[in-house]
Amino acid sequence: MEAIRNALDFKDLPRSEVYLSWAVALFLIIFPLLPFSSFAMATMIQFLIFAVYGMGWNTIGGYGGQVDLGKAQYVGIGAYTTTVALIRWDIPFWVSMPLGMAISVLWSFMIGYPLFKLKGHYFAIATIATSLVLKDLFEVWGFVGAARGLHISPVKYPPPDFLRLIFKEDVYYYYLLLGFFFLAVFVMNWFRHSALGYRLRCIKDNEEVAKALGINVHWAKIKTYALATAYVSAMGSVHAMYIKNIEPEDTMSLDISVLIALMAMLGGAGSLWGPIIGAAVLVPMKSYLKEWMGAKMGLIGIDLIIYGFIIMVIAAVEPKGLWGLYERWKGKRSAP
Amino acid sequence: MKRLFLALGFLALFLALFLMEKGAYAQDEITIGVIYPLTGGAASAGRELQMGAELAMEIANGKMPELAMDMAKEAGIKSMGGKKIKLIFKDHEGNPTLGADLAKKLILDDKVVGILGCYHSSVTKAVSAVCEQYGVPMINDSSTSPVLTRQGYKWFWRTTPHDGTFTMDLFEFLKGLSEGKAKGVKPVPKEELMNLAAACEKTEWGSAASQLLEDYAKKYGYNLKRNLLYTAKSADLSSEVRSLLAVNPDAMLFASYTSDAILMVKTLKAQKAKPKLIWGQNAGFDTPEFRSTLGEDIVGILTRTVFSPKLGEVKTISTQINELYKKKAGYDLSDASSRGFTGVQTWFHVLEKAGSTKPEDIQRAANSIEIPGEQLVVPWKGIKFATSGEEPGQNIMGSGIIGQYQKNKEGQVVLEIVYPFELSTANLIYPFPGY
Repeated sequence: MEAIRNALDFKDLPRSEVYLSWAVALFLIIFPLLPFSSFAMATMIQFLIFAVYGMGWNTIGGYGGQVDLGKAQYVGIGAYTTTVALIRWDIPFWVSMPLGMAISVLWSFMIGYPLFKLKGHYFAIATIATSLVLKDLFEVWGFVGAARGLHISPVKYPPPDFLRLIFKEDVYYYYLLLGFFFLAVFVMNWFRHSALGYRLRCIKDNEEVAKALGINVHWAKIKTYALATAYVSAMGSVHAMYIKNIEPEDTMSLDISVLIALMAMLGGAGSLWGPIIGAAVLVPMKSYLKEWMGAKMGLIGIDLIIYGFIIMVIAAVEPKGLWGLYERWKGKRSAP
Repeated sequence: MKRLFLALGFLALFLALFLMEKGAYAQDEITIGVIYPLTGGAASAGRELQMGAELAMEIANGKMPELAMDMAKEAGIKSMGGKKIKLIFKDHEGNPTLGADLAKKLILDDKVVGILGCYHSSVTKAVSAVCEQYGVPMINDSSTSPVLTRQGYKWFWRTTPHDGTFTMDLFEFLKGLSEGKAKGVKPVPKEELMNLAAACEKTEWGSAASQLLEDYAKKYGYNLKRNLLYTAKSADLSSEVRSLLAVNPDAMLFASYTSDAILMVKTLKAQKAKPKLIWGQNAGFDTPEFRSTLGEDIVGILTRTVFSPKLGEVKTISTQINELYKKKAGYDLSDASSRGFTGVQTWFHVLEKAGSTKPEDIQRAANSIEIPGEQLVVPWKGIKFATSGEEPGQNIMGSGIIGQYQKNKEGQVVLEIVYPFELSTANLIYPFPGY
C-alpha cells in the first residue's frame, strides 16, 4: 500500500512543476487526435521509448551515479525474447514480455554481482564490454537468426492482433507506449521515495559514509541495476513488435547504450524529469535535423555535427543537464 | 503564471513543427518514393543508384526519339495524359529500422504511388514488409538476397536476378574454365581450383550469399575450405584475411559492400595474397570508388555484375544511355546505376500499363508487363515477373555477367566481360597476377 501511495505522491514537487507535467500529460494523451503526420507520430513513439529507457538508466546512472553504458544488452534480451517466443512457439507478447524481463533481470544479477565490484570508469567500461560480448554472441547464434536477425512477417501475423501486439497503425503502439510511460513515471516516483532510493543517493554522495551507516552498498546497487534492467527490457520487447525486424547490429549496438545514457544526462541525471526532457529534446532534434537539413537541403550528415555541438555546449555550461539549467534559472528568479 | 505561458508557448511551437511536416505534391505528377543508402559505408553505391534513377526519370519525362525505348517516345506517361514521374529520395544509411520508418513516411505523408529501393537486402526486407502491410507496390531494383521473393508478398517485385543466379554463374564459369571455354586460357584442371575460401559481410545479403556459396560448392564438387562472415563496418580485416590465407585457397570469393571491399583488397595486398582467382559478389567490387581508390591493384579481379560499358559492343542502347550518363556523372554507368535506371524504367512500364495510380491496377499491371530485352541497358532477355511458383514477383528473364578488371591500351582499368563465354570482350587473365 505504501508503495502505491509513494508512487502517486508528487506533493514534494513545486506546484508549477506539477501543473506543467499535467499539461504535458494532457498533450501526450490528445496528440493522436491532432492532424499529425506519420513522421511526427514515429518521432513521438521514439520519444516515448527513449524516455522510458532513460528513466530506467536514471535509477542506477542518475540516482546511483554509476555510469552504465551497456543498456543495449537488455534492449536486446527483451526484444529477442518476445520475437523468438513469437516466431518459434507463437507465445503472445503479454507472456513473453514479462518473461523477457525475468531473463534480463536474471542476467543483470549474474553480471551485476561482479560488475559492481568495480567503480567509476572501470565500471563504465565493463558494462560496455558485457554488452558488446552479448551482441557478438547473438551475431553467431543461429537459433536467434545470427547476424541476419529475425523478421516478423506481416503475411504470417496479420494485423491487428492485440495478443501478439501486431498493428498496422502506429497509434495503437503510441497509446500502449504512453501507458508504459505513465507507469514508468509512477514507478520512478516510488523509487525516489523508497528506502532503496534514499540509500542509493547516499551511496552516490559518499560510498564510505553509506557503508558506515550500515547500508549494504553492493546489494543496493545490484537491486537498482535490476530495476533499471526491467524498464529497458520491457521497452525492448515493445520496440521489437513495433519495428518487426530485429538484428543485433540494430538492437544491441553501442550507439543505443550511449544514446540512452546521453539522453538522461542531457536532460539531467538524478532528477525525475531529466530523462523525459532529454528524450523530448534529443529525439525530435535528431530526426528533424536529419530530415530538414539532411534530406531537404542536401546537407547530408550535418545533423550529426549540430547534434554533437549542442551536446558539447550543454556539457560545458551545465553538467547537470537541461534540468540543472532550469533549476539554476528558477533559483535566480525566485530569489527576491 | 508567466512561466506556464512560456511553457505552453514552447508546446505550441513544438506542435507547429509537427504539423508543418505534411508534404504536398502537384496533382499532375506521379510520386515514387526511392529509398537508397545515401550516407554510410555504401554511400557511393547509393549515389550511383540515385543518378541512374534520375537519368531514367529525365528520359521518361522528356522526349528522346533517338533512343529505342518506349520510355523515350513520349513525354510523361501517355496512358495517364502525359503525367510526369517524380522521385522522392530518402537515405536509409543501411539501417533497416530507419528504412521502414521512411517507407511509412513516404506512404502516409507523401502519399507516394509506389516505392523503389533499397540496395541493402536487410533494408529491403523491412521496407517490403511495410509496403505489404499498407498494400503499396514496391519494385526492388538492387537487392539480391533470394529470401526477398520467397516471402509470399503480393506487393513486391524484383527486377534484378538474385544471388542464386549469380552464384550459379560463378560455378558455371569455374566449370567452363576447366573445360577450356574461357577465352585465351588453356583448360585449367579442376584440381588446380579445388580449394575455395570465402568471406561475406554478415547482414541479410552477405549471410545469404555465404550460404549459397556453400550450397553451390557442394553441388559442383568444389571444396569450400573456409567460409566466414565479417562486419562490413570493421576498421581492420587483417585477421579475416589471415584466416582465409591459412587454408591456402586457389580462389577467394567475397560478398562485400563498398568500404569493406576496398579495405579487403588493401589487406590482401598487404598480406601478399596470391590465389589464382579473386571473385567479388558485385556490390562493393563494382563501384567507381572501388576502381578509383585501388587503381591498378584490382587488375585481374573478377566481379559478377549486370553492366559493363563493354556491353555497348553488343548492345547499342547501352552505349547511348552510357553516353547520357557520362555527361551527367562524369564517368561510365556501373552495375548500381544501371540497375537504378532499370528500376525506374520498370516503374514507367508498370504505370503506363496500369493507366491509373490505384494500387490494384498497378498490381495487375506489374504481374502482366513484359519489357523486351532490347530496351534494357542491362544484358537481360527482358523483364517479366513470375506470378506463381516459388518466387512470385521475381524477374524470370534476368541474367548476370562476370567481368574482369583489365588495363586497356590507354592504361585505364576497365571491366572486360569474361562470362558468359560467348559475350567475352577480352582474353581472361589467369591466374591472378598477384601483388
